[in-house]
Amino acid sequence: MSFRTKIFLSITATVVVAVWIVAGVVSTLVTKSFERRDEQRTATLVSQFHGEFNRRGAEVARRLDAIASSDEIARIAVDLGSPQADPGKYYDQAQTLAREQSLDFLELVGPDGSIISSAEWPARFGYKESWLLEPGDSRGVFLKREELADGAALGLIAVREVKAANGQIYIAGGQRLDKKFLDTLPEIEGLRVQLQSTFEPATPPREITRTSPQVSLTTIPLFGRDNQLLAVLLVENSRSELASLKKYIRGTALLVGSGAVLLGLLLSFWTASRVTRPLRELTSSVREVAGGKWDTRAAVHSSDEVGQLARDFNRMTEQLVEHRDRMIQAERVAAWRELARRLAHELKNPLFPLQITIENLQRSRDTPQFEEVFRESTTTLLAELDTLKTIVGRFSDFSRMPAPELEPMNLNQVVREVIQLFDAQIHAAGRPPVEVRQELDENLAAVSADPEQIRRALRNLILNALDAMSPNGGVLTVRTGNLPGKVALEVSDSGAGLTPEECERLFTPYYTTKQHGTGLGLAIVQSVVSDHKGTITVHSEPGQGASFRIELKV
Amino acid sequence: MRLHAWAWLALSSLPLFPLSAATRPRYGGNLTVELSSASSEAIAPLIEETLVRLNEKGEIEPQLAAAWQRDPDRKRWRFSLRPKVVFHDGEPLNAASAAPSLAAALKKKYGDVNVTAGGQTIVLQFDRAVPDLLTELASSRMAISRPGGQGAPNGTGPFRVTTWEPGHKITLAAFEDYWGGRPFLDSVTVNLSTTRAIADIFDIPFSQTRRVLPEHIRIWESPVHELIALVSDNVQPAVWQALALVIDRTPIVNVLAQRKAEAAFGLLPQWLSGYAFLFAAAPDVARAKQLIFETRLTPLALSYPSNDGFVRSIAERVALNARDAGIAVQPTPNPGGALRMVRWTLESTDAAAELSRIGALLGLPERPLNAARPQELYEAERSMLDAHRVIPILFLPDVYGVAPRVHNWDAAQKNCGFTLHLENIWVDP
Repeated sequence: MSFRTKIFLSITATVVVAVWIVAGVVSTLVTKSFERRDEQRTATLVSQFHGEFNRRGAEVARRLDAIASSDEIARIAVDLGSPQADPGKYYDQAQTLAREQSLDFLELVGPDGSIISSAEWPARFGYKESWLLEPGDSRGVFLKREELADGAALGLIAVREVKAANGQIYIAGGQRLDKKFLDTLPEIEGLRVQLQSTFEPATPPREITRTSPQVSLTTIPLFGRDNQLLAVLLVENSRSELASLKKYIRGTALLVGSGAVLLGLLLSFWTASRVTRPLRELTSSVREVAGGKWDTRAAVHSSDEVGQLARDFNRMTEQLVEHRDRMIQAERVAAWRELARRLAHELKNPLFPLQITIENLQRSRDTPQFEEVFRESTTTLLAELDTLKTIVGRFSDFSRMPAPELEPMNLNQVVREVIQLFDAQIHAAGRPPVEVRQELDENLAAVSADPEQIRRALRNLILNALDAMSPNGGVLTVRTGNLPGKVALEVSDSGAGLTPEECERLFTPYYTTKQHGTGLGLAIVQSVVSDHKGTITVHSEPGQGASFRIELKV
Repeated sequence: MRLHAWAWLALSSLPLFPLSAATRPRYGGNLTVELSSASSEAIAPLIEETLVRLNEKGEIEPQLAAAWQRDPDRKRWRFSLRPKVVFHDGEPLNAASAAPSLAAALKKKYGDVNVTAGGQTIVLQFDRAVPDLLTELASSRMAISRPGGQGAPNGTGPFRVTTWEPGHKITLAAFEDYWGGRPFLDSVTVNLSTTRAIADIFDIPFSQTRRVLPEHIRIWESPVHELIALVSDNVQPAVWQALALVIDRTPIVNVLAQRKAEAAFGLLPQWLSGYAFLFAAAPDVARAKQLIFETRLTPLALSYPSNDGFVRSIAERVALNARDAGIAVQPTPNPGGALRMVRWTLESTDAAAELSRIGALLGLPERPLNAARPQELYEAERSMLDAHRVIPILFLPDVYGVAPRVHNWDAAQKNCGFTLHLENIWVDP
């Protein structure tokens, strides 16, 4: 994750969380405030409902009293008291009386509980209203579920009893408790009230409040004369105002949050430009140094820690360059010294026989063996001169390594050819025994290389290995194998091995660990490998032999 | 002595004079009649007449036809029209003027009738025997009339129409040229759809019959001649039987009809069939519940005439009775219910003809009936009831209030079948 992203996420998360917390707190406070208001409004409405209930109840009671004391009821009571009484002729009387008193329900019921006349359901004459015969408060007004021809209705009912000769006539009547009744309650904005007389049997007989995102619903149970749950008053507080306010809060929070994201984005860009750009430039400079461009300089934009870091980097690269130059110079000096030592060594060997030969020739000038000495001395001189010419030729060859002529080639083929060349030398009489192992990958990929130069490099490596095993013999192993995008050629011996210091200097021209080596063999190998854009490494430990590994790109 | 005798006779006659004046027919005066719309057809015979009519014994007697003959197989009937009869517009009654309305009415009942008119003779030729033709011709549906002004009927009856406002008011005037002699009344004013009980004659709803009426008002009842019944043609037999068992007719008679009606268990009233009591049965709610114990019940709509409050109250009571057995019946004024409450009026005193007519109304197969064989009538009626198409509930009379200024009311109605006859009554000034 980039520094810029981290800054962006940090700023955004901080602001968003802060906004979310503030919005949540505000929303909770607002919700509680609205809930308190809803409770007050509900309480007010319920109080008004009970007030209207009582007022209507008193009105119903008054009208029932008027009917009970009317001449018509008195006449009916007297008539029904006679032995030949026929209640049938009064079967529509209740309708007339109910109409006169504006009652929705009115029933005249005989002493045995049989309906004489029913205003709300005229056809029910003769049916029993047994509940009237049960003991109870005969003066009160109560809620009752009235069965009607087309269903049931809720009524505010009162009962009056009128004495007749053979008992009592019951007058039960009242008014509907329905939407019209509720419509008389003062209207409160956002508050809706309903009367529900059909409900689940499991409806709890207590006041409960349920809320949803849209409404807050309070259920108030209404009981009848025998404490039976007959209906519930549903008070519905609209929460639309709260919902819109919460929506506004959410919208504002969302807007602020979005602003925070945008701010975070801008801040992250600004901070990144202030902090990460110098770092990126410094990183780029480091990469350049790692790539070998040691004179790279980082721009210094500020005097803060990043600026100090850039300055330290520049000082470091300056020191690196100085150190490298010194190293090059030292190596050059060392190389020249080595060259001088090697040349001196190489030239000293043939010069000494030359000097001896010439001195012998001078001493034998006047002797009779001069002719013989002269012939032997010139022969020796010529041989030593050839040796000198050979030495000079080798140095000349090293200085004149040609550019490789690349062509597709199979390394396994080259390996087999070179080993074939060494076959006679390896198995020559008097030579220590050397076992040659060829571990060649038959699926080796072809490489683009100069076969002659590769052959030359391989010859040097095998020759070097054979030299390393010359005292006691050993095992010479040549391996090839595929690597991702390249092939490997490995030449291993079981000789005395090399010290780490020897490994470090092994490819330095004119460096040799052998008595008669020129120190150019491995230098030539490295030169060939380098010209083929490949690499050569050596792995060796003292007493464990040495292993040279060439990797060439496919 | 002779003088004293005359003086005594004069003085002794004085107390008797009012009585004589009340019982002696008097010409003149206007009679006001108030009828509910359901009873408005009762005045039709005052304006239009039929070829024959039924007397109080249910016998056929001549009216516009003075005489008639038929062939032995009852396919050809020949009627001789009464002479010197004129329509209210002055056109004489003859075969040519009577045939159109008669032929139109007959065609509705008998599609094969061929009416031939000539002079004062009308010949009716049928492809099949028509034994009950005379009973049918006595029906008010077969009244003979001519087109009148403003849609008013133009008949030969004792009164002619002077004001014709259907559904509101009809004013009649005595027809001076009535063949039976001018009626005593000069005019009759009939107010429809209002019954304020302030007229000389008014029909009384059953709910009012036992209420306190003015003392001078006399209540008159006709024989029961209307059948209120529950009919249907697509109710499950078990439900239908259950309905027949749960309907309690006694409260309907005693309360809704205020004891003026008769419980109907058969299709014909007792006075007409003589065996109606054999159909009587007490309600049995328990048995009804058993019948429908495992029946899948659906609510049944019970249609009743929207303008008939009395039938509506019966429908509501039937629905209440049905509920006792667990059958949901919902009364509705909308036609098309699975159940229908109907009010059928007897049109003749011929039991066989009435059974045939009711059978036709129920869509039952026609079968020849002989009124002289009660056993055959009983079996026919029993089979009609067992067809699960009709449940009789109530037989109703007409109930009228009659003001004391109206005279000769009972005698005038005796010979009139089930319609009002005002030609022989007179009123005090």
